[in-house]
Amino acid sequence: MKAIALVCFSFFLVACNSKDSSSKPAYTYIEKTAGEASNTTSNLSGHGFSQPMPNLTDEELALHLSGDAFFEASFTSAPNTAQPDLDGLGPVFNNADCNSCHQRDGRSSSLTISSNVSEIKLGSGEGLFLRMSIRDATRDDQCTSIPAIQNSQNDFCKVIPVPNFGDQLFHRGVRDARDDWNDANNPQKNVGQANVYAKFETKVVTYGDGETITLRKPVFMIRNPYDAPLESDVTASPSSALLQPNVVTGARNGMPVFGLGLLEAIADEQILALADPSDKNADGISGKVNWVYDVLKANSGDENPISIGRFGWKGNAPTVRQQSLAALRGDIGITNSLFNEESIANTDLHTAYLARTDYDDTGVDAFGNPEASDEFADAVVFYAETLAVPARRNVKDEDVVAGAVLFDQINCTACHNPSFTTRRDADFKLGGLTPPKGILNQTIYPFTDMLLHDMGDDLADGRRDFLANGKEWKTRPLWGIGLTKTVNPGAGYLHDGRASTLEEAILWHGGEAQASKEQFRLLSKDKREQLVDFLMSL
Amino acid sequence: MNLTMKWLPVTAMAALLSACGSSSDSDTFDYDADAMISQTVNGVIVAGYEELDNKAQLLIESVNQLKAKHTANTLTDADVKAAQDAWKAAREPWEQGESHIFGPVDSLEIDPHLDSWPLNTNDLQAEVDTAQAGYDVEDVLSANDEIQGFHAMEYILFGNGVSDNEKAATEFSIGEINYLIALAQAFEKYTDDLFTAWNSNHNLDDPQSLAFKTFLLAADNEIYSSQLAIIEELIDGMIGIVDEVGNGKIADPFGTSSQTADTSKVESQYSWNSLTDFANNIKGVQNIYRGEFSDSADVEGIIDFVSAADIALSKRVDAEIIAAINAIEAISGEQNMPFREAIKDSAGRARIQLAIDALFTLQLSLTDDLKPLLNDWNAK
Repeated sequence: MKAIALVCFSFFLVACNSKDSSSKPAYTYIEKTAGEASNTTSNLSGHGFSQPMPNLTDEELALHLSGDAFFEASFTSAPNTAQPDLDGLGPVFNNADCNSCHQRDGRSSSLTISSNVSEIKLGSGEGLFLRMSIRDATRDDQCTSIPAIQNSQNDFCKVIPVPNFGDQLFHRGVRDARDDWNDANNPQKNVGQANVYAKFETKVVTYGDGETITLRKPVFMIRNPYDAPLESDVTASPSSALLQPNVVTGARNGMPVFGLGLLEAIADEQILALADPSDKNADGISGKVNWVYDVLKANSGDENPISIGRFGWKGNAPTVRQQSLAALRGDIGITNSLFNEESIANTDLHTAYLARTDYDDTGVDAFGNPEASDEFADAVVFYAETLAVPARRNVKDEDVVAGAVLFDQINCTACHNPSFTTRRDADFKLGGLTPPKGILNQTIYPFTDMLLHDMGDDLADGRRDFLANGKEWKTRPLWGIGLTKTVNPGAGYLHDGRASTLEEAILWHGGEAQASKEQFRLLSKDKREQLVDFLMSL
Repeated sequence: MNLTMKWLPVTAMAALLSACGSSSDSDTFDYDADAMISQTVNGVIVAGYEELDNKAQLLIESVNQLKAKHTANTLTDADVKAAQDAWKAAREPWEQGESHIFGPVDSLEIDPHLDSWPLNTNDLQAEVDTAQAGYDVEDVLSANDEIQGFHAMEYILFGNGVSDNEKAATEFSIGEINYLIALAQAFEKYTDDLFTAWNSNHNLDDPQSLAFKTFLLAADNEIYSSQLAIIEELIDGMIGIVDEVGNGKIADPFGTSSQTADTSKVESQYSWNSLTDFANNIKGVQNIYRGEFSDSADVEGIIDFVSAADIALSKRVDAEIIAAINAIEAISGEQNMPFREAIKDSAGRARIQLAIDALFTLQLSLTDDLKPLLNDWNAK
């Protein structure tokens, strides 16, 4: 058993001492999963992820509300003489506002493909993009070995960007982002670095009771890269840098943005105590910290600027601030004081775009200021740091209670660690700033260990990200997950949105979660439903 | 509109207020919500989206007429006025529908396609310049939102709105009309999607999927766990738009003084339709609250849910909705002043403040008095 088991055991003992829940996990009847930072209203509606923490001060609430408006601000291409405050989109990007990938502060809508067509092109209706990098045996081995070799010589295990492209594929563009935007034969207007298409593959899973379920996952195809517009990923011997065999890509779906400040406020020691990277206890479950490059530390002169990765599908960002402002600059193309250069700066696409458009959209103004003001950036970050966590529903329902017990019995809690307590020490800074008191010293139930786990071949994208290998993903928090479809009826689960139900998401688990998944598969239908009922109560 | 105008979370204010707003009367009450939910969903929401799609089709007809007349060199100002009126007619059900912005309008990303703000008029004009021989609707559907939707059509139909909201027949180019036709066609495609999602298949790519309305008509599903959840959704929708109108759409351009008033933040600034938009937003609240459109027979609505618990409150909220609508409509004053001028006029600002106050009063009642009733309802 790894360290988490001891924590669970402690809960068990506590539960044994209670009068009315002798064999139930300690989390069974917890309603406010974020303590005083839990929602006090809208826990049943589509506004469930969009409430400010109720324990903010008036001043903090005002900042949060400013961030809320900015979160929905839609940017336009530059120049926009009538609305200069909201121009600067792109020139290549994935979406024009935060909300499009985090709809109503939750997950983005999953891809849908009509039976009349075999594939779709990603456009303005999708909240998903591809990350990309170069496979490099030396660095990949150094960074994924245990212990990892991570230092300035290997760039602290950053991914190696695709030359002339970067580490994120921007499939959309402003009207004339590309030289061939108005090409007579093959115009690529409103297209970014390349077009991305998707189709589905399916597989059938049979439960222990004989019931079957068909699972599907999206497969992505890349076409029309800007450096070789007629090529695609089936081109023999392609010339495009993007289509070389050493390029690896992985899809990333938008994820919920509530409760993030609380996750950042978990002490390193609590996370490290759960880690067992070598699986010394031989329980088949390791749990590994992703140590990642910390821009705030680097900017402060730290010579070893790495921190625990807490955000992103592979935990590749240490703070909400870094995650949010990287997305602002990357996903939307809005430079800011933390990332003050366009993602595609110095690529041929950008160089050509600037020359062709008379340097109207360089990413900085005449005074060197980025496109987003600090007022904007700080408010958006604070917003994501201080969205409340929905309180649970129906915690006394007997099926929900039974599901809570099953969740522990089949060892989901080994990775979906129920609880932490957030920091309260005076040294703690949230994204480099003094945190709101409301996130401090809260007993929280996020149901994540904040660690990386091998999730098996079916979920693998084969792409390393800092110390995470191609099969490893950070355990997703489960709090609030039962409101996912209430907030966005089109939302899906997992990193590429492939699972349309929680049941499907469970069945995609593999690797270290294989044993738990198998136990779920072999449960009776009633018990499977009870476990899902518990998840829906979160 | 999709943003700057998108207020600041009133939801937050709602949260704060509700936190301290538990019902003063701890007695529970009974109410059978079946008819109310059915009427509100079918008679207001789905019917409203059907009306929107119908109006979108009429808008296409109207702009096609512009082209026919322009081609025949017989285009008149009356034809232009008819197209402008068709745009305003489509605007009405959309703005009223902003009282229930949840479900497919969000999950299918229809809202930003239809009502995105701000535009980039530089790019829009560049597209118009390419449309001399026609414009393919597919190019609109693949375009970024900054050059499509209501406000792109508004910009072409009414001009830039700075000195007036009129545009003579002689001012229209064939490029503008061709692009306008493609915009209207794309617009109608999305309104049809919206109606279809609510009324037939919520997943447009899956003909086996349920109509979205089904999730509300038969609670206890993956989206709405109970009728309580549905009523909370409806109430949150009302709170949201009252907040957005009072604290965003009006307050943002209003500023703190006539010197800080900002016409660039005015919704529907090209057509000067702002006050009609705002009033329609609150009429949409009235539709949801009453469960019927203003010209329809009385049926069950949230007002009856409230009445079952507190008759006086049900009447007070109804009166406050009417007062808010009236206060918004009074902003134009005897001089019929558009909102973009009223924010810079001292008497106009006084009238605007009265509307803001009326909206705040209504918002308080919804968050502090009405919503807490959910805690007292004996839901079946």
